[in-house]
Amino acid sequence: MQTAEEIEQRIASARRTFNELRGELGRIIVGHQELIEQVFIALICGGHCLLEGVPGLGKTLMVRSLGEVLSLSFSRIQFTPDLMPADITGTNMLTDDASGRKVFEFQRGPVFAHIVLADEINRATPKTQSALLEAMQEQSVTVGGKMHRLENPFMVLATQNPIEMEGTYPLPEAQIDRFFFKLLLQFPNREELGRIADLTTAAAPAALREILDAPSILQMRQWVREVPLAEVVKDYAVRLVMGTHPLPKPANGSGGLAQRFVLYGSSPRGLQSLILASKARALLAGRPNVSFEDIRTLLLPSLRHRLILNLEADAEGVNAAKILTEIVEQIPEVE
Amino acid sequence: MDSLGTKFAALLSWERRKRREETLLAASSIAAALAILLAPLNFYLPVSWLRWLVPIALWVAVSPWFFYRARWRRADSARTLVRVDKTLRLDERAVTAWELAERAAAEGAGSLVLRQAEEKLRAVDPRALLPRRWRWPAFALLPLLLLWFALLWLDFDRPNEVRHAGPPTLAQQLREYARELQQKAKDQNLRETLNLGRELEKAAQTNLDAKGNEETLKKESAETADKFAAAAKGGAEKDSLSSGASEQNLKDLQAEIAAARDLLEMPESSKSADLGQRWGERLAALPQLKRQLEGGEQTGQGLGQNELKAFLDKLEQQVSGELDRRTVIDAQQYLEQMMKQGQGAKGENYARSGSGDEAEPGANGMREKNFNSQPGKEPGRQDQETRALPELRAGGSTQVKGQVGEGDSSALGFKGKPTPEKSTVSPAEINATYRRQAEQELNSERVPDGLKETIRNYFMSLGETNK
Repeated sequence: MQTAEEIEQRIASARRTFNELRGELGRIIVGHQELIEQVFIALICGGHCLLEGVPGLGKTLMVRSLGEVLSLSFSRIQFTPDLMPADITGTNMLTDDASGRKVFEFQRGPVFAHIVLADEINRATPKTQSALLEAMQEQSVTVGGKMHRLENPFMVLATQNPIEMEGTYPLPEAQIDRFFFKLLLQFPNREELGRIADLTTAAAPAALREILDAPSILQMRQWVREVPLAEVVKDYAVRLVMGTHPLPKPANGSGGLAQRFVLYGSSPRGLQSLILASKARALLAGRPNVSFEDIRTLLLPSLRHRLILNLEADAEGVNAAKILTEIVEQIPEVE
Repeated sequence: MDSLGTKFAALLSWERRKRREETLLAASSIAAALAILLAPLNFYLPVSWLRWLVPIALWVAVSPWFFYRARWRRADSARTLVRVDKTLRLDERAVTAWELAERAAAEGAGSLVLRQAEEKLRAVDPRALLPRRWRWPAFALLPLLLLWFALLWLDFDRPNEVRHAGPPTLAQQLREYARELQQKAKDQNLRETLNLGRELEKAAQTNLDAKGNEETLKKESAETADKFAAAAKGGAEKDSLSSGASEQNLKDLQAEIAAARDLLEMPESSKSADLGQRWGERLAALPQLKRQLEGGEQTGQGLGQNELKAFLDKLEQQVSGELDRRTVIDAQQYLEQMMKQGQGAKGENYARSGSGDEAEPGANGMREKNFNSQPGKEPGRQDQETRALPELRAGGSTQVKGQVGEGDSSALGFKGKPTPEKSTVSPAEINATYRRQAEQELNSERVPDGLKETIRNYFMSLGETNK
């Protein structure tokens, strides 16, 4: 059993590592500090992220840079309508063995990497999208009746364009629910835009330094799960998740928006993501316990993609963020 | 970790105490507010002074619900520690440490949480960290209580008709008089007077209940009084005591009869040889009784004990009957006077002679101010509508009722000097009265036995010296 001092050192180490990583990425990526933190949180929680933003905001750059500083293998899959599942998972190829006999040999697809960038995931057909289901959930792929384990740690960072809907296939709910976070990339402000111009039009910056390796990430995953969570804080998270459901007010304590505009609320996976992410945030903040603020901060990335809104919400321009904000305002920390 | 547990206990204990105080204040404020709202119903309380206890009763009624509602729960403890976290910016370390300490599961990161919480809370004073915050009940209680007190003090909790009640009606006056008459009859064992009092009270009450008019009441009362007075006057003709003796004489005689009975009931009285001698000695101190015996041409010395007892019984009966008769006649006259005043005399003076003697004009005393000389009346002009006040005799027990103020003041003054005239009471009677009183005192336990004979001899010698 570790002593309090050892735990303190461990937490300080995690915080230090994260700060280094953020500083290193800051050399390449302008802004998006919160996004970097949330992606890292998803990584040390063993989750996958869905990044949504218009083209040119640095989604791919960020994911690739992350792979570099983490000393992890990285692969990119450009999703297109004609992309087949085997193009992602890999396939059995007929080859000659040493004795000249014809044998099937499994050729690993791009999914066999630590970090997989599924670019423009909504451009592929549902059949191809679902090829990622098993990989994301089970961290394995089954080809020809044989299961193949994926890398550990394994993380899928999928991107999608929110405005260009022509010729796209929206992700099914089952697929969306498997994403730990859905992160929105905001357009940079004036100052950030100036810095982007400077960085990308001058001499190429020096190569990124490796900050963290796979074993360290797996170690941090273990630490995250050891962060204590008070019952009252957990109850707060539970009530927030309950608040996303269109139940009568006394049952969940939320206001009228969820009742009016939500078709289906968050799944239990949403609660798992919220709590685990909060633990990770506490760890990265150098705290040994989860606070209410952790829960509130990570509510939107954890739950925004898990709320299925009705047509009325679409018509009135109400989105999940608005509903979740109202829920946070109305549900007290301690009941 | 023990110090952390102690600190949590101190914090929670302080919060519980604050909760109890707040609950107490809230219950008290609500009770006071209810007491004000329910004040109009105080009129239905069986006893008037109970209205002062209404807030206490309401507090007893509502406080269990308040205390039940404000009972301390686990969530309250959590809420308190979350407040501590917010105040000290501990990011929920205190509440997490509290839960871990309760579960005794402080391993790994938990032990660090406990240590950090202990460090942060070590110097914390619960009272300074979570000070009292007075809410509305604390500010409302005193004003509400003062308001309630003022309402009761000013009788605002009573109906208007009661609060602004005028002078008593004729029926109420009659009922009050009838009750006094009954009390007097019971005290003095006056049978007919008691019956008269009952009849009058019944008539007054019936009139009050039925809200009947005054004329009917006057008529009924007059009939009742006349009936009893006629019977009393009829009885007086047969009675030997009906003439001559004043009421005071009759009362003295009653007392002397009681004193004579005491002598007869003494154990040594059974010896007939001594009885005659003792009776003679005692009779000298009982002038009224002696007069009656002489009137009957008896001295008592020749009578036996039973005969004396029979004589005293008969005499006592006659005295009571005479007093009864006179009281009834007095009552009838007083009622007559009262009925003449009627309700028009409401708020004005009415006076009656407590002695029951017939009112007669004071020969030497004159009214300092008559009814027409009071403020608001023209001086010297006789108000024909105003009835003449009953004339009073100085020396008697006199009761004057009414209000003092502007206008028809009811205050009366009497003045007059006693006429230098020969006393109507003889020294022998005075001495006899003294002896009788001394005898009564000697029979009581207050006088030591060794001194009784000396005292008796002294009062006996008073009469002899005068002679």
